[in-house]
Amino acid sequence: MAPEGTQLLNQVLDNDPPTRGSKEYPEELRTPPVSLVALFGCSELHSSITTHLHSQQPPINALAFPDFSHLPLLLAPHQTSSFTDPLSDSSPTLPTSGILKRDWLLKHRTKVPALVAAFFPSTHIFGDPTQWLQVCSNLDTLKSVIRPKNIKLVVVVVQSSPHEVISEDRLLALRKRAELDSKYVLFLNDSELPPSLSRIASSFSELALAYYREEARRIKSRIDKRSSTSPDLIVRYCFKVAVYAEFRRDWGEALKFYEDAYHSLHEMIGTSTRLPAIQRLVEIKTIAEQLHFKISTLLLHGGKLTEAVIWFHQHKSSYEKVVESTEYIFLHWEWMSRQFLVFAELLETSSATVQSFSSLNQGTAETPLTEFEFYPAYYYQLAAHYLQNKKSSLELLLSMSVAAQKIDGSSDSITPSVYVGQFSELREKGEALTLHFITDEEYIRYAVSEAKRFQDSFEIVAWLKKSYESFTNLKSRRMAAFCAFEIAREYFGLSDPSNAKFFFDIAANLYRQEGWVSLLWEVLGYLRECSRNLGAFKDFVELSLEMVALPVTSCDDFGNLKNKTYGPGGPATVSRRESIHREVFALMCTETELTSSTGESGFKLAIDSPLHLEIDLVSPLRPVLLASAAFHEQMVKPRALCSITLSLLSHLPLPVDIDHLEVQFNQSTCNFVIRNSQSLLSTMQSGSQVENEPSLVLVPNNWLRLTYAIKPEQSGKLECLSILAKLGPCFTICSRAESPAAMEDSPVWKHENSVQSLPTKDPILAVFGQKATQVEEPEPQVDVTLGASGPALVGEDFTMPIVVTSKGHAVYSGELKINLVDVGGGGLFSPREAEPFSLESHHVEICGIDGAEGNDESESETGNIKKIQQSFGLVSVPDLKEGESWSCKLEIRWHRAKPVMLFVSLGYLPQGSEANAQKVHIHKSLQIEGKMPLLITNRFMLPYRRDHLLLNRIKPAPDSEDMSSLPLNEKSVLVVSAKNCTEIALKLMCMSIELDGEQGKTSCLIQQGGGETSGSANLAPGEEFKKVFTVIPTMRTPKLSLGSVHLKWRRQGANTEEACVSTTHKLPEVNVDASPLVMSLNCPPYAILGESFTYAITICNQTQLLQEAKFTLADAQSFVLSGSHSNTVLVLPKSEHVLSYKLVPLTCGQQQLPKITLTSVRYSAEFQPSTIASSVFVFPSAPQANSTAK
Amino acid sequence: MIVCVAVVGHQNNPLYIQSFTEADDALKLHHIVHCSLDVIDERVNNPSKTGTTLNEAFLGLLYPALNYKVYGYLTNTKVKFIMVTTDLDVRDTDVRSFFRKFHAAYVDAVSNPFHVPGKKITSRTFSESVTNIVRSYSFN
Repeated sequence: MAPEGTQLLNQVLDNDPPTRGSKEYPEELRTPPVSLVALFGCSELHSSITTHLHSQQPPINALAFPDFSHLPLLLAPHQTSSFTDPLSDSSPTLPTSGILKRDWLLKHRTKVPALVAAFFPSTHIFGDPTQWLQVCSNLDTLKSVIRPKNIKLVVVVVQSSPHEVISEDRLLALRKRAELDSKYVLFLNDSELPPSLSRIASSFSELALAYYREEARRIKSRIDKRSSTSPDLIVRYCFKVAVYAEFRRDWGEALKFYEDAYHSLHEMIGTSTRLPAIQRLVEIKTIAEQLHFKISTLLLHGGKLTEAVIWFHQHKSSYEKVVESTEYIFLHWEWMSRQFLVFAELLETSSATVQSFSSLNQGTAETPLTEFEFYPAYYYQLAAHYLQNKKSSLELLLSMSVAAQKIDGSSDSITPSVYVGQFSELREKGEALTLHFITDEEYIRYAVSEAKRFQDSFEIVAWLKKSYESFTNLKSRRMAAFCAFEIAREYFGLSDPSNAKFFFDIAANLYRQEGWVSLLWEVLGYLRECSRNLGAFKDFVELSLEMVALPVTSCDDFGNLKNKTYGPGGPATVSRRESIHREVFALMCTETELTSSTGESGFKLAIDSPLHLEIDLVSPLRPVLLASAAFHEQMVKPRALCSITLSLLSHLPLPVDIDHLEVQFNQSTCNFVIRNSQSLLSTMQSGSQVENEPSLVLVPNNWLRLTYAIKPEQSGKLECLSILAKLGPCFTICSRAESPAAMEDSPVWKHENSVQSLPTKDPILAVFGQKATQVEEPEPQVDVTLGASGPALVGEDFTMPIVVTSKGHAVYSGELKINLVDVGGGGLFSPREAEPFSLESHHVEICGIDGAEGNDESESETGNIKKIQQSFGLVSVPDLKEGESWSCKLEIRWHRAKPVMLFVSLGYLPQGSEANAQKVHIHKSLQIEGKMPLLITNRFMLPYRRDHLLLNRIKPAPDSEDMSSLPLNEKSVLVVSAKNCTEIALKLMCMSIELDGEQGKTSCLIQQGGGETSGSANLAPGEEFKKVFTVIPTMRTPKLSLGSVHLKWRRQGANTEEACVSTTHKLPEVNVDASPLVMSLNCPPYAILGESFTYAITICNQTQLLQEAKFTLADAQSFVLSGSHSNTVLVLPKSEHVLSYKLVPLTCGQQQLPKITLTSVRYSAEFQPSTIASSVFVFPSAPQANSTAK
Repeated sequence: MIVCVAVVGHQNNPLYIQSFTEADDALKLHHIVHCSLDVIDERVNNPSKTGTTLNEAFLGLLYPALNYKVYGYLTNTKVKFIMVTTDLDVRDTDVRSFFRKFHAAYVDAVSNPFHVPGKKITSRTFSESVTNIVRSYSFN
């Protein structure tokens, strides 16, 4: 092992790049200590034992010595140290020369074992006496070495097999010789290694614990004699006790004693006189730092995040004011910076930071903690801040004192001494190296030379970057921006303008967005210098203009910035703005010869390269030139003059002269130029409109309003795009035009409490003005007429003639668009109704467009487009010369009665096929009513005075309420009537009933009644046509389909060639039932007053059953009646029963016969003849006509 | 000693900022006020996390920055008041009463019919009353 002196020398001469943070601490301080044991003898077992001990929980480190001859090496380095240490732990009463020894912790972790394990083969103990003697002497030597140190001893007997003979006498002798309890004499069986190993490990750890506990107790007893011990030693003892507690993993006790040590140490400030003043504090602070590190680590690993943060705050505040020397305050700043850095690193690595803050109470009542104090970023940022302090104070020191400047690497011989936090001079005296105390001057010289080695800026940047990233991740944009600003300033100090610019930009963006003018001014000042250093001329101008246009009014008005140190931008005042303004405009707008002498701006540029600035809506340069354009009209006529007002506003502090303005539109033909007539510079492009203005001066914060008339050529949208201002020979600013209606102030000016002026004089235009207007199409000189209007009838092909007549314009590439739109809004298509008639999904559809009459040949030539859909059609119109016309016929068919809107629009080119010609459009629309032509109704009539008992009429099925019932095999009459419900006369061609299918033909028989063969008739509006059919159902069915009525008709007076329109009407279904009883009334066609007549009622039983029928006959006022009023009769199957009455009429006129009510007992059903059927006309005397005929 | 007070608008734009320090650090105070807006954002957006109740306008200590302490206050109209002090030992009740007076002065200022809401406060009277309030408080 190398002597310690050379080791230290190597440390000093070591020129590795210096590191900061917790990595600076020695390894033994950063990790928790691990128990140490030493192994002697039986070296073949050592490796397996060492690995096993390592894998224990907690692990145990082992020092392995192959045999007992290496015994002197145990504890050796300590004893052979070349540095004479006048103080040892055993002499507490002597004054100390330091608080903690630098190598004490390392010694206990790597050199001083807690116990020594001596391994002896069993043959050596139980065999040969000479070997036994050797064992005894080895043991004695071992004991003599370890006893003074209270190191524990274990004897391990290594057996080769479990059945070896063990001599009890020898074992006892061995135990006595080793002065050991029997449980510390262990047996290790070579063949069964694992169980023996775990036994060994457990007794090792037990003994190690005992050793560390005893050592701690021993030192604790010295602390208790506090009065007689110096505070240095108390700190030392507390530290040692804490370390021993850490060896035992007793974190609570460790924490307690570290804290004791810390507090005792703090008391020493001001009382200790041992070392020169500066070095004294340096030592105390170094130790405090280490103790603090230990305490914070223990707290954080214990998950006590809040306690750790509070502890850190206490630590910070108790040492904040402990300054070694105000002249050399950089030492203090460096120390402070390191505290923050180390704590930030601890927080970052500690798993405790992951836990959410919800479980944390926010500190205690007297020291409330805030969210940010739990973020490492906060500490990194402050570490960087203190390091900045250190850097600047060191720079100040170096600039002030000549002596300090001379310090360089000459103080090599100063080196850390054996005590923590102390430094001494290493002097070589022949072979021996000795350490000597140094004076404060020597120490400062050393400290300054050390401090010079550090590149503080890089570290500041690195920590701030960490902080910046962390804050960005936490979405703390303003903190991040502040870090970015600090980083950038550091880069700026390092003359690294490109990096600085990057970070300044980050900060500037946020300040711009939130309108923090004072902060933005400073950042922009830096950025301006960066761009100057980078030689970015355009950036420089842009940044200067932005600064100039900031709402900085005066230093006292806003936040009274009384800063005496400014950023490179200078103070935020109006006068400074004005001077920057002058500087920029002097640079930009002067003659070429003069600009060569712009030495002070640092730009040696070829000024003949023009500078062009683009300002859009989000550009920070918007306040420099705000351009608004407002058309006075929302719609303008083509080729007519329309007025536009341009308004320009500048927030620059000084008036600006404009050479000329170029106004650009989306229709480039409208572009025009406004020329300052005083300016001689202006050179115009020919061709565009030029306006002259006596002066074009932008006065600060005043709108420059200019109104001009332009003449748009093309129809469509006309929009003002941008306004380009030429300010000098080579300087142009192009600002995007904005509508006054949509204009907003830029973020920095938005909140300024200044008088608002309107961009236009007209307040309505200022609020609603638009930068775009619509240019109308030229007046169409073509007529489109829709020929028909009248109501259309459902079913027919309604013809709509469309005539296109040219009246002044020729028509080229004409296109006719036809659209049908439902007026009701319900749509032409309704899915619910469409299901049964899926074929006619549209209620109204375009069936066809009949091409122009007589133009058939030209149609094919022009490659006619003809697209027809159900509600949309597209027809191309052939080219027409002036005065010509063209027509076509549109056929529309209605399936339902529905009003529709017909839209027809014609688009055409008035002048041939010019490439950029614009189409002219004509729109026509017409509402057309679709009407039902005929209303078809039907009625059933049963045979006269013959009443059938139809059971289902009495007890109707629930779903057949409206259904009429017909008796089976009886002849019924069906009357179908068709009523013309239009205002047009119609001609009915024929009407017939068609049964559907074979089944219909077999189940019923329909004949045309009346024998009229021609069903044709003319129907005036409102007139009704009736036709009679006889129906004989031949099949008993609850639902008999009678087919449908087919009607053929056409408009009266229309061409006979024209096809008839056929309309069908479905007849309702009927119920066919056999009637068990039929009642027929028999009486003469008329009666004569006072003359009797016979009224016979025949009840016919049509069933195979005997029918019992009750009847009652009601008296009638106008008749005298003979016969039974009520009775029950039995009617035999298939036979008739006749009730006969004699009646004498008493009154003239249509009279109601006595009403009979028949009740069938079998069906418990009652029925009566109808009122009309049971009445008769009574003449006062026999009719004359009849008598004359007689 | 109160070294800086600020009124901050909805878009985190400064409406009024005034520092009361002879030292050369006004700009630094602006930075501190601006950074403290982050804390207010966090408190307002995650009220449960930080344990503050939204019913209260006073936001408490925002964060300790170097030698300063920053306190915050949020009005019903979401205007933020920020106060920076160099006193390290401050009682919450004092700060609360300070903010209450400050709030009253602010209400007086914006109740002026000539004041446009959302614009910077340039009223001289407001400035004077704020100065008086600040002078009357020294927390130690």
